[in-house]
Amino acid sequence: MLLLDADVHESFSGVRDLVPYLQEPYREWISRGAWRGFSQPFCYTSPGSGNRADVRSGDGSASVSDYGLMQRQLLDAYDETYAVLTGYFYPTMLKLQYGLATALAAAYNDYVVEHWLAKDKRFIGSIQINARDPEAAAREIDRMAAHPQIKQVMLPVVDDIAYGHPMYRPIFEAAARHRLAVALHHTILAEGPFGMGLHYIERHTLLPTSMMAEVISLILNGVFDSYSELRFIILEGGFSWLPHLMWRMDREYRQGRVEVPWVKKLPSEHMRERLRFSTQPTEDLSPDQWLKLIDLMGSDEYLIFSTDYPHFDFDDPEASIPRALPADLREKIFWKNGAKFYDLAAPAQ
Amino acid sequence: MTRQRVCRLNEVTGKLLPVDTGRGTILLTRLPSGAVKAVASRCPHQGADLAYGCLTGLSQGERSNCLASDRPGEILRCPWHGFEFDLVTGVSVVDRGRPRLRLKQFRVEIEGDDVFVIL
Repeated sequence: MLLLDADVHESFSGVRDLVPYLQEPYREWISRGAWRGFSQPFCYTSPGSGNRADVRSGDGSASVSDYGLMQRQLLDAYDETYAVLTGYFYPTMLKLQYGLATALAAAYNDYVVEHWLAKDKRFIGSIQINARDPEAAAREIDRMAAHPQIKQVMLPVVDDIAYGHPMYRPIFEAAARHRLAVALHHTILAEGPFGMGLHYIERHTLLPTSMMAEVISLILNGVFDSYSELRFIILEGGFSWLPHLMWRMDREYRQGRVEVPWVKKLPSEHMRERLRFSTQPTEDLSPDQWLKLIDLMGSDEYLIFSTDYPHFDFDDPEASIPRALPADLREKIFWKNGAKFYDLAAPAQ
Repeated sequence: MTRQRVCRLNEVTGKLLPVDTGRGTILLTRLPSGAVKAVASRCPHQGADLAYGCLTGLSQGERSNCLASDRPGEILRCPWHGFEFDLVTGVSVVDRGRPRLRLKQFRVEIEGDDVFVIL
């Protein structure tokens, strides 16, 4: 079966890999060791410290900068048709030094083009941006959009940005201009309504709430209405909450539309037409629960398969989606929905 | 169907006028166009008494944070949940084009100073 994997995290071995691609003065800054990394406020508790423990690059590091390893463990092992690279180095996490963040995003994009996209036609690329400077982000989107393997813009979900705010419109205008998808993915800063909790397991369980907040913001502030062709995908943010959010937002819209008249459709209509979800982590539903959930969602076109390779909560394409599901539904999840979303055809044999 | 006199024409203004028909309460109002409308006083959503609702305009806007209002007096909002109903069509504003919720409307006939509704 054809298989599109919507969330694959390529990386570099260290930020020094970006030095050749950085503009001055940031090249000098990074070269002399000025970068100490993003301040991750927690430790991983999984055996592989955030990754699958069986994923180790040639140099022994856990970061996945090794294309050959990914090729063996993922692309070839599961005969993936396409793998969408989504990174996890998100310069938007820098809360100051916007120029540096924008330069890091550009350098990372150039690094990915040379070290990942060029190596395998199965890779689909994402544009990394510094969303805190939307005009600069739009210029970066303009710069990268012509690459034939690039199909989307990554919007990192942090702890202080709801993307419906009008200041972020240049990002959406640029994505729409180039007919790119927009993907939301959590970061090490994403949190729930009361922060991250006291344990990693709390923080990880809360991640879908940050996605719900983004969907609420994007729809009610008119982003879906302003850019009627723009498509959105929630990556690694869960999907079983969709029925609740559809019902809740439709009800809220019926009673509160007067405040947001720029929203011209029921929120559930916007979602059904242009919002999609990657499947991982699948929450281990039974086949019966899968079918009930899809019935409640009102469409079998929302879900697009993803592994989240190389992260510890990886979903195996052969085990995570029940084989007992109807064949046409499995084909939609593994291939058709993703191919339609990213406007991809099956490669010529 | 029965034809029932419900009030005098000059009693119907741009406000909501509840009238007990003996088979339920209806609300009468005069739209800015001059047309007299008669609708059932129970909201089709959860049954709130629409006599406590508000007559208002249609909230409009194309860009976020830019609000405007037009069609004053043609929109009835439920006193409980604020659902909006277009008094010209009877249809929920949110459901325009694909009616799901609609007010029960009654045909109005005016003879001289008297207002009749067809129940």
